[in-house]
Amino acid sequence: MPENRTNRLLRPETLTALGIILVAAGFLIPSFELRAISALLPAAMLLGLIVLSLALLLSDQRKAGAGEHATPMTQSPKRVIGAFALVVAYALSTDFIGFYASTAVTIPLVAWVFGYRSAVGLAVATCIVVGTIWLIFDFGMSQDFPTGRLWQN
Amino acid sequence: MYSDLFHALPDVFALTNFVAVVIGVIAGIVVGAMPGLSATMAISVLVPFTFGLEPLVALGLMAGIYNGAMYGGAIPAVLLRIPGTPAAVATTFDGYPMAQKGEGGYALQVAVVSSAFGGIASAFALMLLAPPLSKVTLLFGPSEVFWVAVFGLASIIFLLGGNPIKGLISACFGVFVSVIGSDPIYGNDRFTFGQLEMLDGINIVILLVGLYALPPVIDLLETPLKTGVNSSKLGTESMWKALPRMKGYWKTWLRGSLIGIWIGILPGAGGSMAAFMSYNEARRTSKTPETWGEGEPEGVAAAEVANNADTASALIPALTLGIPGTAVAAVMLGGLLVHGLQPGPMLFRDNPDIVFGFMWQFLFGAILLILLGGSLATNSFARLLNLPRPLLGSVIIVLMLIGVYSIHGRMFDVYLMLGFGAVGWVMDKLKFPLPPVVLGLILGGFAEENLRLALRIGRGDWLVLFQNTTSLILVALTVAVVVGPTLKKRFIARRKAG
Repeated sequence: MPENRTNRLLRPETLTALGIILVAAGFLIPSFELRAISALLPAAMLLGLIVLSLALLLSDQRKAGAGEHATPMTQSPKRVIGAFALVVAYALSTDFIGFYASTAVTIPLVAWVFGYRSAVGLAVATCIVVGTIWLIFDFGMSQDFPTGRLWQN
Repeated sequence: MYSDLFHALPDVFALTNFVAVVIGVIAGIVVGAMPGLSATMAISVLVPFTFGLEPLVALGLMAGIYNGAMYGGAIPAVLLRIPGTPAAVATTFDGYPMAQKGEGGYALQVAVVSSAFGGIASAFALMLLAPPLSKVTLLFGPSEVFWVAVFGLASIIFLLGGNPIKGLISACFGVFVSVIGSDPIYGNDRFTFGQLEMLDGINIVILLVGLYALPPVIDLLETPLKTGVNSSKLGTESMWKALPRMKGYWKTWLRGSLIGIWIGILPGAGGSMAAFMSYNEARRTSKTPETWGEGEPEGVAAAEVANNADTASALIPALTLGIPGTAVAAVMLGGLLVHGLQPGPMLFRDNPDIVFGFMWQFLFGAILLILLGGSLATNSFARLLNLPRPLLGSVIIVLMLIGVYSIHGRMFDVYLMLGFGAVGWVMDKLKFPLPPVVLGLILGGFAEENLRLALRIGRGDWLVLFQNTTSLILVALTVAVVVGPTLKKRFIARRKAG
């Protein structure tokens, strides 16, 4: 049975195609300000993206019309959103609080949230990873890591 | 033609370069043995760490990882029926039944010897075929180079199989990303939106880590896979006792090597296709096809020899033309660029020691597989399967951040990588191929520069792109690659209907 109109527009491929069209159209605007030869390749690619996404959208809608159900992108959306959120939070905390503090919290936190609950294992793994990073990168290679914007004057 | 090959040999035996291959092979086996992680991902994560290293050390690590991971994928394939890498799917057919019969140790020994055989054959193919091909490509001018880039992109989009619209979208995205930054000729900003960090363009490593490393980590955290291996029940015997039992597989090894080398050279195909083809051929020609699928060691040999034989051969078009045969080869091209080595004919002329040294490293990496993947090591690698996946995921996230941050020492790159990671995850889930994005980024700037150069030579006349035989041959090949698969489908459909 064909899906209803709202569901058809919420199919992952349709949403992706619409997203690409919007973003590519947005990027086309600054390309008008470029010299013709400079804009040639980027404009061609952006127009290509728009045309191809339209084709993708039409083919997906045709499938929806024929009653073909879209495969969900993930079986556990909460876990995926959680994983992305934790990765972004780690990057932000590294930027604002500093690398070592964020890493020492992130390793056990991510592992615990996603199912590894051994306190000893988490403590040992965190010490080994953070210690090895300090030894190799900080001590051995003099690599500077972010110290945290919050602590900078 | 081959004198440079032997000149490069002493450099390969320099201690640091040799140790790099050893570490690479071990790391590759570890990565390959972990379901969900792949050689592509491992090399993507590794590339930023190699900035400060000598090119041969960095390339040795990559060659080792590639070789090691192709074998490593066989460990969970045999013990758990879970292929560690996509190329190890065919290994499960007979490897797992062997493990069920208590012959898991022997299955892994067959896998490691076959992998080494395939890797050695592939390295020899690279050494023999790449130098003459590079001589031919040295004669190319700007218009031919432009068409080579177009042909490379077309091949990877249309020969990869799947939906060509998605392949084209991926390629357009990659080429678009390649033009972000200053215009190479006029110097004006393109799509930088005032961000100074983007003036030099998007560093390929940021894109590689985002596209190839973040999605597998999310997958690792998304599906908690219960694994558990009791390595004491593998039934492993000494390699010296096991080797005589394998002497009957030489035909399978030769056939599988040829299949793997050929598949590796073809852009877009990969180790899994090579393994399937080799397995099917070996089974078809076997005197006892009924035993296949029930624990036939030759089945493991056929699959493993072919998926390792496509490793170095995938670099033949990559090193000579800048067209990678597989996703890993595409990532390796990125690794070469990081060290200022532009793939293509000039690479052989300007950096013979490095490019030929790299070939030797592939050969030694394959030989090292037997030494490092022996019985004791196999038992240890099997234990890796018990590592908790959430912990592994969190450690990889940290490594990704360190790697990307260390490129320029700025968090902007990390945020950019996360953006590409999100895009990569969506692309992965919706089955948009990722190699065209990488190839688009590598070839986009290259194609644009040569197109503009050709147009300058031709004083703005576009016909300059079609004025010599080589260009016309490349145009014809591009058309054949684009139209070929459709014609083939129609032909098969007609034959079935008729």
